[in-house]
Amino acid sequence: MLGSAISLLRRSILIGIVLAPAIVATPWSGARSQDRYPSRPIEFIVPWGPGGGADQLGRMVGKQLETIFGQGVPVVNVPGGTGATGMAKLLAAPADGHSMAVYIADTHALLAGSDARWKLEDITPAAVMLQAPSFLFVAENSRFKSWADFEKEARASPGKLKVATLGFGSVDDFSLKVLESKGVKVVQVPFSRPSERYVSILGGHADALYEQAGDVAQFLSGKQMRPLLVFGTTRSESFKEIPSSHELGYPVALPQFRAIVVRAGTPPDRLKALADALAKVAASVEYKKFLQDQFADPDSFIGADRADAFLKAQLEEMKRATATH
Amino acid sequence: MLDSFVQLGSGFVACLMPHNLLMLVGGIIVGLLVGVLPGLTLVMGVVLFLPFTYKMDITPAIILLTAMYVSGTYGGAFTSILFRIPGEPIHVPLLWDGYAMARRGEPAKALGWTLVAALLGGLLSAIIMVALTKPIAGFALRFSSPEYFAILLFGLASVVALGRGSLSNALLSLSLGLLVASVGTDAIYGSYRFTFGSRLLADGVEFLVVMVGAYGVGEVLSRLERGYAGKPIETVAGARTELPSWREIVALKAMFVRSSLIGNIIGIIPGAGATIASFVSYGVESQFGKRRAAIGSGIAEGIVAPQSAATASVGGALIPLLALGVPGSGATAVIMGAFMLHGVQPGPQVFLTSASMVYAIFASLFLGLLLMAVIGFFAIRPLVKILDLPEAIVSGFVMVFCFIGALSIRNNVTDLWLMIGFGVLGYLFERFRFPIAPLVLGVILGPLAEEAFMNSMISFGNDWTVFFTRPIAGAVMACTLLTLLLPILGSLRARGPRGAAPVERAEAP
Repeated sequence: MLGSAISLLRRSILIGIVLAPAIVATPWSGARSQDRYPSRPIEFIVPWGPGGGADQLGRMVGKQLETIFGQGVPVVNVPGGTGATGMAKLLAAPADGHSMAVYIADTHALLAGSDARWKLEDITPAAVMLQAPSFLFVAENSRFKSWADFEKEARASPGKLKVATLGFGSVDDFSLKVLESKGVKVVQVPFSRPSERYVSILGGHADALYEQAGDVAQFLSGKQMRPLLVFGTTRSESFKEIPSSHELGYPVALPQFRAIVVRAGTPPDRLKALADALAKVAASVEYKKFLQDQFADPDSFIGADRADAFLKAQLEEMKRATATH
Repeated sequence: MLDSFVQLGSGFVACLMPHNLLMLVGGIIVGLLVGVLPGLTLVMGVVLFLPFTYKMDITPAIILLTAMYVSGTYGGAFTSILFRIPGEPIHVPLLWDGYAMARRGEPAKALGWTLVAALLGGLLSAIIMVALTKPIAGFALRFSSPEYFAILLFGLASVVALGRGSLSNALLSLSLGLLVASVGTDAIYGSYRFTFGSRLLADGVEFLVVMVGAYGVGEVLSRLERGYAGKPIETVAGARTELPSWREIVALKAMFVRSSLIGNIIGIIPGAGATIASFVSYGVESQFGKRRAAIGSGIAEGIVAPQSAATASVGGALIPLLALGVPGSGATAVIMGAFMLHGVQPGPQVFLTSASMVYAIFASLFLGLLLMAVIGFFAIRPLVKILDLPEAIVSGFVMVFCFIGALSIRNNVTDLWLMIGFGVLGYLFERFRFPIAPLVLGVILGPLAEEAFMNSMISFGNDWTVFFTRPIAGAVMACTLLTLLLPILGSLRARGPRGAAPVERAEAP
């Protein structure tokens, strides 16, 4: 409580000093009735730093929610611990629907580990907003013309080819472990900063890159990178010519997803109001274009009724992937 | 190349259109403010303004963000020099010579030097950017983890210059900084280190907390001990804007060029930005500069080296962004986001598809630097006047800014307690004449160096010789070794003929 009060205070100070135009842009509602939800601005926690994919989603959705609710939806970046720090902040706030957070696959992957600081039962998803499959990319001039080339060399000399990923214990790691369990053993090189990760294959420092297509869109359209394999049950609509992991017999399909969650125990009527608003956002033209730009699945949206089951199924698959090793 | 300059001309014309000019001025002013506020980092500032560009055309949008980026590398110099609070980590090196010069009674002169350094460094890198963006872009791709590690190690090695004469004290302070930096979740394997089962420590210690605490709070505590007796700077009443004379600038021309080149090259490398540029440039100056013995005592070289490198890194960072679509720093990553929002993909094709926009951005960098210098020039005087206020009141404001800064990093009240803790530590260091600078250096660069080292080991099958056998990494490593050995050799012999050659190797790409 104190934290959020101070953060609001700080926000107004900073806005006063630096962001004078923001006051004009933010539709603060004058009316404050207690029985109405939301009765005050909703704090929108992005457990990642500014500029990344989770942040982009948060700011995009937050802006539209402000119009729908007539209340401010300030985005608060709380980076750290693969999202764990932001989750701790969410779970410390009251379960009244006035705090919500962006929850992504990499944060979810922490639950598959042994020392997660929260349980799946502690949170309730209001919606899954975005799903995008992951790919293995190579530089345009790579000697690997196809996945078959890559697979052949990886099987012939195990532990030689380098794949740039986000890090150990991440979704990237799980997917590579499934490949390894089927005899395709590579060296995983973790780069926490995206720019270094992308340069690693462009500069020939790594052989392949594990990433979602939206994050490297400029390299794809600039003919600097090309995909070899998509991790999914079916082929990608955008890259129909490349094989999917399931058709090749690698039983792994862990998409990157970005959901919006609140604390468990939030009153059902408030959860519903939030979920309905998010459904409205997801149906907007602006949002559909956002998904397209991100190379995301056009049918990404999963409403509150099925989102919980989705998170459970994803966690099961992540646990299976770690167990196969 | 001639073609480039013709296109640049039309870029200037585009920049002078009222709408673009307005964005340029606005960006400069906001960038200066963002730079002044500790905790509100440059990247955060650019991100906060990104939404306002949604409805704009792409050219004014990018001009606004680039202008913020440029002046953001300069604004923090004011608070570093006047109050000993670095507004950005970039400006930590300015605390050493800049603050020392201000305390000697020449605050306006110190600010004048930063102004000239930012202007000249920026302009030089802007010229390089226009002339060489296309050919130079490929160079950035040759950097991998071993090269990063070598550069970071060099930055850490520059600590020998920061020890107030005592190498062992400097190394002790540096080790403490590295220890603080290692607290928390390890970046590669995710194991907990020195957390003692505490959630609070599991997230690690933010370097900004250490920086703001040890310098800002520590300084206020030191003043409190003296009972706020006397003004912080005696001759402040007579202070006026003092630009260095033309002769003084010309005398330092070689080091202007050297620092700007270092900044520019480090800016080009993806992942390394203004902060590393500033530290490395200061390190080079303190090891190989003409007046290396006097560095740290408040000489112009110690101000020019970090500031011109920091501003020069902007032009460098824009090169891979425009030519390859690879952002060279956190701020350029956000600027790239702005490009994408407007449907433009930076990369080799951007020179063909949106050439006029690219050259308008180039031109805006030149105009922005000049505007920044003018605004900075007139801001020096009122800012120096602040020092006329009673020390207790200034200290009060300093504390407010420290608290705002520490809280806004990740909205965590615990950070405030940590900041106070490091404030007490900074005070004790100051009290017992123990150097603070190496501690802060270790906290900032330590984690970066660790990750680069671990990645090199993973990537090259635990072969440590890669740091020496790869040409770029090897050259930088040689400089690092010289940096560490020179003081020892120097004490053995009065002065050896070494030292000049490796500087050139460090600069040559």
